[in-house]
Amino acid sequence: MTRRQLLANVLVALALAGLFAWLCTSVFALLGKQTDWSKAWEYRETLWRGWLVTLGISFAALAGSIFFGLLFMLGQRSPLVVVRWTCRAFLEFVRDTPLLVHLLFGYFVIFAPLLSRPLGERGLDDKMLIGVLLLSVFEGAYLGEILRGGVESIPRTQWESARAVGFSPLQVYRYVIFPQALRRVLPAMAGLFVSLIKDSSLLNVIGVAEYFYNTRNFISRSYAGLEGYVPLALGYLILTIPVAWLSHWLEKRFRHET
Amino acid sequence: MKLEVTGLTKCYGTTRALDGLTLPVESARVLVLIGPSGGGKSTLLRVLGGLEMADGGTVKINGHALLPDAAALQAYRRKNGFLFQQFNLFPHLTAHRNISLPLEKVHGHAPVRAREIAAQALDRFGLLDHADKLPAQLSGGQQQRVGIARAVAHQPEVLFLDEPTSALDPEMTAEVLELIQELAEAGQDIILSTHEMGFARAVADQVAFVAAGKIEELSPPAGLFGAPRSALCQRFLSRVMRY
Repeated sequence: MTRRQLLANVLVALALAGLFAWLCTSVFALLGKQTDWSKAWEYRETLWRGWLVTLGISFAALAGSIFFGLLFMLGQRSPLVVVRWTCRAFLEFVRDTPLLVHLLFGYFVIFAPLLSRPLGERGLDDKMLIGVLLLSVFEGAYLGEILRGGVESIPRTQWESARAVGFSPLQVYRYVIFPQALRRVLPAMAGLFVSLIKDSSLLNVIGVAEYFYNTRNFISRSYAGLEGYVPLALGYLILTIPVAWLSHWLEKRFRHET
Repeated sequence: MKLEVTGLTKCYGTTRALDGLTLPVESARVLVLIGPSGGGKSTLLRVLGGLEMADGGTVKINGHALLPDAAALQAYRRKNGFLFQQFNLFPHLTAHRNISLPLEKVHGHAPVRAREIAAQALDRFGLLDHADKLPAQLSGGQQQRVGIARAVAHQPEVLFLDEPTSALDPEMTAEVLELIQELAEAGQDIILSTHEMGFARAVADQVAFVAAGKIEELSPPAGLFGAPRSALCQRFLSRVMRY
C-alpha cells in the first residue's frame, strides 16, 4: 500500500465510523430512556423456544428442499416430454409467485382443510408441518434450478466417458456428474440456504410459533423496541453466519482439489 | 476378432454420417480406420462401441449381434473398453480411483480386489508413481495412458480407441502409441481411428478407409498404403503423406 492509499483508507474509515456513531447516538438518544433490556430477559424463555423452532424448521426445510430440488431437477431431465413440461410449468409458477402467497393459499385453502384434522388427531403440529412442506417446495424450486444448472454445466465428454466405462444411468449421476456438479453450485446452494433460514420467518403468517412470531408477540405485549429487534437480528445471524462460513470454507477446499 | 457390418446408416439431423456402410472383416487383431475428418470414422466407432444406436443396418462382432436396446448396449459396453480423444478421466478422482471405481461398481469386484487390479493396471504401463494424482496434475499423454489403463483393466473383449492421440503433441503421441502397440502385441483386439499413418501401417492387420459414410477401401496395410485402389483413398494418402 502506498502512503496515499493508506491515508485515503484511514480517512474513509474515520468518516464511516463517524457516520455510524452518529446514527447510533441519535437513535439511542431518542430511545434511550425507554430501552429496558430487562424486558427481553423476562421473555427469554419464549424467545429461546422460538429460536429453537426456527432452527428446527430450517433444518427440516433444508432437508425437504434438497428432496424437492432433486425431484424437480430430475423431472426436468426426464425422457418424457409431459413430465418435463409439467415440471417446468410448476417451477415457473412457484418461482414467480411470492412465498407469502404460497403460505397463505397453501395453508388456508389447500392443506389445512385436507390435513389439519388427521395431523391434529395424531398429536402433530399441523401448522409447522404444512409450513415446512410449503417452504421446502418453494426453496426446492430454486434449488432444482441451481442443481440443473450445475448438472448441465458438466461437459458432454464426462457423460460419454461414464457411459463408456459401463455405468448405469443412475451410477452416471451418482459417481460422475453429482460430485462434480455439487462443487460448482456449492456457493449458490449456500446462498439459498441462508435465504431459507431468513424466509422461515414468514411462517409466522400461518401462526407457527417461530422466532420472529414470538419476538413480535413480545414486542407488541411489552412495547419493546430495540431490546426486541436487536436480539431478533442477532438470533438470525447466529444461524446464517455458520452456513455462509461453511460454504466459503468448502469452496476453498474444493478449489485446491481440482 | 470377426466383424460383420452391413448397411449401417446413421443421420444427425440432415447430415448422413453413415450411409449404408458395409464392413466385413474375417479376422483381424487390430483394425484401423483412417480417412478424412467428418467422413464417419468416429460415428462408426461409436456405433461399434455401443455408445450410439444406428438408424439402420446390422452389426455382428464375433458372431454376436449388437441389439438396439439400451440395457443390452450397456451390458455390451461393460465387456468392452472405449477411449475418446481427450477428457476421458473423471477430474474429481485420482488416477487410481478412476480405474478402481468402475471395477468396483460396474464389474462387481470387492473394493480391496478392485484396488489391487487398478494398481496392477497402472504398474503395467509404468504409471504407478502417478496413482494418487488428480487428472489435472498429469500431462495429456499421461492422462491418455491412464485412460487406456482404465479401459483395459477389466480385460475387455475389444478395445475401441477414437483418435487417441489427436489432442497430444508429438512426444506424448509417441508415448501413447507405444503403449497401444504393446497392447496389440500382447494380443488385445483393437479397433481404432487415427491420423497417424505410420502407426496405422505398423500396427494394423486390416486398414479401412472411411469417407462420406462408406468404406471406400479395406485391405491389409501393405496393400492400402502401397497401392491404394480407390481414387478417393489415393488422393487422401497423397495429401497426408506429402509433408
